[in-house]
This record gives sequence, C-alpha cells and structure tokens, in this order.
Amino acid sequence: MHHQGRYRTPLLIVLVLLLVFSILSLSLKHSPAVKKVQGVIISATAPGLEGMEYVSRRIKNIWQGYFYLVGVKQQNHELERQLEEYKQREVRYHEAQEALTRLEGLLDLKRQVALPVIGARVIAYDPSLWSRCALIDQGRAEGVKDGLPVLAPQGIVGRVVEVYPEYSKVMLIVDGKSAADAMIQRTRVRGILKGKGGNRCSLDFVPKSADVRVGDLVLASGLVGLYPKGLVFGKVTKANKKNPGVFQDIEVTPSVDLSTLEEVLVVKVANLALSGP
Amino acid sequence: MIAPLLAYSLVGLVLFYIQNLALFPHVHLRLLGLLLFYVSLRPSLSLALGLSLVLGFLQDSYTTTPFGLHLGAALVLVAVARLSLRRLHLRQLGFQVVVSLGALFLQELCLQIGTFILGYQPFYSSTLIRVHLWEILGTAALGPLMYLLVQGVENFLRRLGWRPPSEPLPYQPFGE
Repeated sequence: MHHQGRYRTPLLIVLVLLLVFSILSLSLKHSPAVKKVQGVIISATAPGLEGMEYVSRRIKNIWQGYFYLVGVKQQNHELERQLEEYKQREVRYHEAQEALTRLEGLLDLKRQVALPVIGARVIAYDPSLWSRCALIDQGRAEGVKDGLPVLAPQGIVGRVVEVYPEYSKVMLIVDGKSAADAMIQRTRVRGILKGKGGNRCSLDFVPKSADVRVGDLVLASGLVGLYPKGLVFGKVTKANKKNPGVFQDIEVTPSVDLSTLEEVLVVKVANLALSGP
Repeated sequence: MIAPLLAYSLVGLVLFYIQNLALFPHVHLRLLGLLLFYVSLRPSLSLALGLSLVLGFLQDSYTTTPFGLHLGAALVLVAVARLSLRRLHLRQLGFQVVVSLGALFLQELCLQIGTFILGYQPFYSSTLIRVHLWEILGTAALGPLMYLLVQGVENFLRRLGWRPPSEPLPYQPFGE
C-alpha cells in the first residue's frame, strides 16, 4: 500500500508528460483525431460565447441608445410617455442604421468580388498573444472549407484554417504563420506579406533598389491564388533601407481593424479575380 | 476529485468568456494561468493536473499554434506551484504573488522556446515584449483576488458536502 502511494505521483507526472508529447506530436502531424478533439471543444464552448456575445451586444446597444437621450427632460406625463416611445425607436433606429452601414459595405464588397461568398459573424477571438485568429459562425454545414479567404469591406482579413460543423477558425493576416504574395499598388513591386503578431505585418523579400514609400497601398497579387487579386492588405507604415542585407525592412499595417471585426465575407472558391476596371 | 475539477473548469470557462468578450482586445491578462497556479497550491496534485488538461485544451482549441502547446505551458505553472509548495511552504499571500510572478515568467519563457522549437516564428518586438511584461505583472497583481476565488469555490463545495480526500470526515457520535 505504502509502495503504491510512493510511486503514484511520479507515475502521474510521467503519464501526463507522455500525454503532452503525444498530443504535440499528433498535432504536428495534422492528425484528424486532434482536429476532432478541437472540434468537440469548440462546439461545446463556442455556443456559450456566441450567446453571451449576442446578449452583451444587445445590452450595449440599448445602453448606448439610452445614453444619447439621458439629457432630455419633458414637462408632462404625456410627453414623457412619447419620449419613452422615441427612446425605443431611437435604439432600434441606431441599431438598424449601424447594421445597414456594415451590411452595405459587405454588399459593395460582394458586388466587387465576382465570386460566391457567404456572410459570417465573428463570435470569438484568441485572447492570448500567441496567435491571431478569430472564430466565425459559419462552418462545414454552410460550405466553408479550409483555405478559403475571408474579407471585410476595408480589405483582407485572413483565411480559414480549421472548419468545424457549425464554426470555422480564421487565421488573421497578422498571425505569425500567415504569409501571402503581395504587391505595392504604385510600383507593382512584389514581396511576401508575413504576419508579425499584434496588429502588424511585414513585406519581406523586397530588394533595396525597389521604390517603396510610407503610405503606399499593399495589395494581394493573386499569384498564389490565396486572396482575391487587387484587394487591400494594408498600408506601408515603415520602409527602412539602412538595415543590413539585400532586402528592405518594410512594416505594413492592415487596413482592417482586426481586433474589432463583426461581420465578414467568406469567399467560397479559390483562384480569385476582381471584376470591373 | 471530480466535483472540484468540474467546479474549477467551470470557473475557468467563465474567465475565458470574460477574457474574450469583455477584456479583449484592450486588456490582456492570463487569468486561466493564474487560476491554475492557485489551484495547484491546493493539496491535490491530480486536481491540478486534471485542470491543466482542461484549461490547456480549451486555450489550444482557440489558437493557431500546435495543439498541446498551451497544455505544456500549463504544466509548467503546476510544476512551479507544486515545487514552491514543497520547498518554500507558501503560506503568505504576498509570497504567493511573488512566486506566481516567477511562474508566469517561466511559462512565458517555455512558450517562447516551445514556439521556436516547433518552427513558429516568435514575435520579437519591443512593443509586444512590453505588452507581455505588463500582462504578466497585471496578472500576478490579481493573485489575492484569485486566491479568494479559489478559496470561495472550495468553501462552496464544502457547503455542498464535499471534503478533500486528505481531510478526515467530521466526527459523528456512534449511534446517532
């Protein structure tokens, strides 16, 4: 009995370490079992997030709507009653107007991208600083697949990296693992846009002889077919030629605020091109 | 062990929701890590390991880093907490805060090394290092609150009739 107790703790530690290394090794081999476990955890926890996000959005909208009208005072009961009515209308109006603005932006983008798209709502983010990804409320059931690009009215958001039955995980362009072929709009100089964490990217492999200035727009080149050609990644915020080596040190800030996304579009096919001029 | 594991997992899930819906993207705190550290200071090792599995899997499911990375990092916190419990006999809250700070730094270091070994480019930039630093300091400063939360959950479980296995049952006179 005494021996059993003595070996229990080391045995437990060895078992846990074995489990961790097995999981890590399975994960690095892209094992379907690991994806299944991830899917189960996300399917179990994301509905709670989705529900709480909905409730907090409603409360925020009502609070903001009420806040606008707090200073208004009325003289008699009839006018107070009318005011209450208007308050409610105001809340609904603001909510509808905000949704309309966002959806108009998405609709414009949908017209621009001559490809089938589906709208999705961002319901969660990875709150850690170790990766930059978001969870959207469209999954395999709606036809979302691995690798599909995700867009917002202001530009490119990222691409789908994991698909679950009802949800999908989107790797944002600022994630450390994200890389895509990009070009400077003004000079058509090409480079590889890589995520740098936080809210920044870098444009790598651009020779020092190339003309790149702060403020230049960085677009998707469409060469690898990951993102629609001509859509905006962001703007050059730093271009340094004084660094050692043959390439410039270029920092790009995404045109989309990737921390406050609400609605996005998932383009349903790869190898994309923009319609129109 | 099942009842406290479920209770602390639920607390962890609520903290994760709060982090995701209320704190992100303005405030970065490692509340799950802190919860795990203070639970690891309780006598049960199996509870600490069980909770590290649950919280590690939860965090790993929402990131793009390899599945198991956060789990490994969670075990670092458990190891530091258990070691300091044995060697330093942590009783004072201030001392616990200092050790939690060290544990969080060590966890950060392990994550950096882990991502590097697994081929992920670590994010080295002065801004991000500053954010990580403030994140760890802010998290450790919340230690007393987390201690109260862990204590509160245990008291709640005791009120429901749960007792730690190491604790003898309350005396019941024979024949009553």
